[in-house]
Amino acid sequence: MNEQYSELPDSRLVNVSASRARYHPAMPTRSYAYLDSAAWGRAFLRGAASWWHMIHLGAIVLVLALSPSTYNRANRANTSSHIYASTWQVLPWFTAMAALLSLVLIRIVVVTALSYGLSQYALQMVVRVLVLELIPLSAALFVALRAGMTFNASAQTNARPSPVDPSVPLSLNRLRAEVVPRVMAGAFSVLTLAMINSVIVLVLAYLTVYGLSPWGLPGYTRTVGQVFDLSVTLGFALKTIFFSLAVAVVPMAASLETARDQASLSGVQPGAVRLFLVLLLIEAASLAIKYI
Amino acid sequence: METQSPPTPPPAPAPPAVAHVEFKAILLLALVTTVICGFLLYVMYARGVFDKTQQLVLIADDSEGVIVGMDLTFSGFPIGRVRRIELAADGKARMLIDVPLKDAPWLRTSSIFTMERSMVGETKLRAFSGILSDPPLPADAERTVLRGDTNAEIPRIVASTRALLENLENMTGAESNINTSLANLKTVSERLTGRFGLLSGVMGGEDNAKKIIATLDHTNALLAKADQRIFGTKGVMDSAQAAVDGSQVAIRELTGVLTDARASLKKVDAVLAEAQAVGANARVASADLGALRAEVEISLRKVTQLVEEVNRKWPFARDTEIKLP
Repeated sequence: MNEQYSELPDSRLVNVSASRARYHPAMPTRSYAYLDSAAWGRAFLRGAASWWHMIHLGAIVLVLALSPSTYNRANRANTSSHIYASTWQVLPWFTAMAALLSLVLIRIVVVTALSYGLSQYALQMVVRVLVLELIPLSAALFVALRAGMTFNASAQTNARPSPVDPSVPLSLNRLRAEVVPRVMAGAFSVLTLAMINSVIVLVLAYLTVYGLSPWGLPGYTRTVGQVFDLSVTLGFALKTIFFSLAVAVVPMAASLETARDQASLSGVQPGAVRLFLVLLLIEAASLAIKYI
Repeated sequence: METQSPPTPPPAPAPPAVAHVEFKAILLLALVTTVICGFLLYVMYARGVFDKTQQLVLIADDSEGVIVGMDLTFSGFPIGRVRRIELAADGKARMLIDVPLKDAPWLRTSSIFTMERSMVGETKLRAFSGILSDPPLPADAERTVLRGDTNAEIPRIVASTRALLENLENMTGAESNINTSLANLKTVSERLTGRFGLLSGVMGGEDNAKKIIATLDHTNALLAKADQRIFGTKGVMDSAQAAVDGSQVAIRELTGVLTDARASLKKVDAVLAEAQAVGANARVASADLGALRAEVEISLRKVTQLVEEVNRKWPFARDTEIKLP
């Protein structure tokens, strides 16, 4: 309709919406309704296929990771080197940074609660906010960002950004040899950083509130026990495991897909947006289950 | 994604050579496993999984504010933990509490349990043991919780306060009884401080007080006169004294009269004795009179028979035959 009216410029029956939409003479005024729906459909299918690819790869990698036959000598060495690179190298300074930030937050929470006379709730709040929420999320984001920085660095040096050679088709043996160690290392890294820093935060919270005195330990233990009931502990464990799987699998699947499709490479790590979306979904689901 | 096995998998990109990389990875694995296991054990210990406990059931009308995992405190120390809250068949809330055996001695059969709900903050379950020498609380004991609910008390307090304020308003109003009483009191006090003092206050005016005072004056005069009449010279008392003296003389004379009367009575006794003797004789005479009477009766009977005999004879005879129809 719009096209029909726009081809008659002298006509008085010019469609109002078309005339308003055509604010430049060079601008085409054809309707995109049909094309848009087709494009949306294709995009939806492409997105669904991409998600399916990610889930499929994740399942295969998980099964391979749980298979004892994966861990032959070469793969063990490969996995060890990846674990070393992803965890051992970052553990000290990530721990230091997380401890420093946690200390600041614990101090703020405790002092504020003390000034309002609510010191009995300060420890619970510290444990709930830091250990249950912030530390796992920050560990996951840190590992994801580190992977992104590695990707960017390799992209700038024109190195091959994909973890595997796209010219060679993927096989189970290739997955076992090249992808599984990376995924295992990434997941292990998130798990390690989250758990160790959670324990460190618990110790820091005790030291901030009670100092070096051992006499606050029974009360502190009781508070921790009140926070970590069965559902919260289970939710914490599941959330950390899902975070680690997401951080390990989503970028890997996206980069494999990018390499397979021979898409043009941009400076952004493949799957970064999807990873943050998945992390957000996991966090939101965890909060919804816990507090609703 | 293809999953067929390729002819020859390409070698993985060689990472930079690091000394003892496998050992370090195993070290990390062991560290994380230890941390996770330690954390789990610590949480289990904190949840009291390893404590031996006995159960205590607290029964309340309303379990609002009580949550699972909440502490039961004794003297500010947590000695138990709410494990479950359930609704009993009678509609009351049953709170199942795990009390570690090491803390159970603080609970006695005479212990009291309270549930305090404040306006701000959480509900608190508390135990009080007044007599620690009482027998220990048995396992699975059921106790009723005493409730102290500030929020529930507020409406009652507000209603009472409103009634109190209304009463106070009524009492302090212009037409209230208290104001009237105070006005009356003021009038009375004015009278009390007046010329006749208390009298005018009590009697309601100066005129009445004047009358009272006049009456008192009259009474005083009357008393003086009465004193003169009674105790004065030739008064009533003197006359009475003289009368008493006369009475004593009369009493003496009366004693003499009584002595004479006693002698007379003795004589009367002798006369009575004689009269008794006369009476005895009269009794004997009465017995003779009985015999005489019998004889008279016999004579009379004979006369009667004689008269009947005469009546049967002609011309006095009557036809006495009875004819039957």
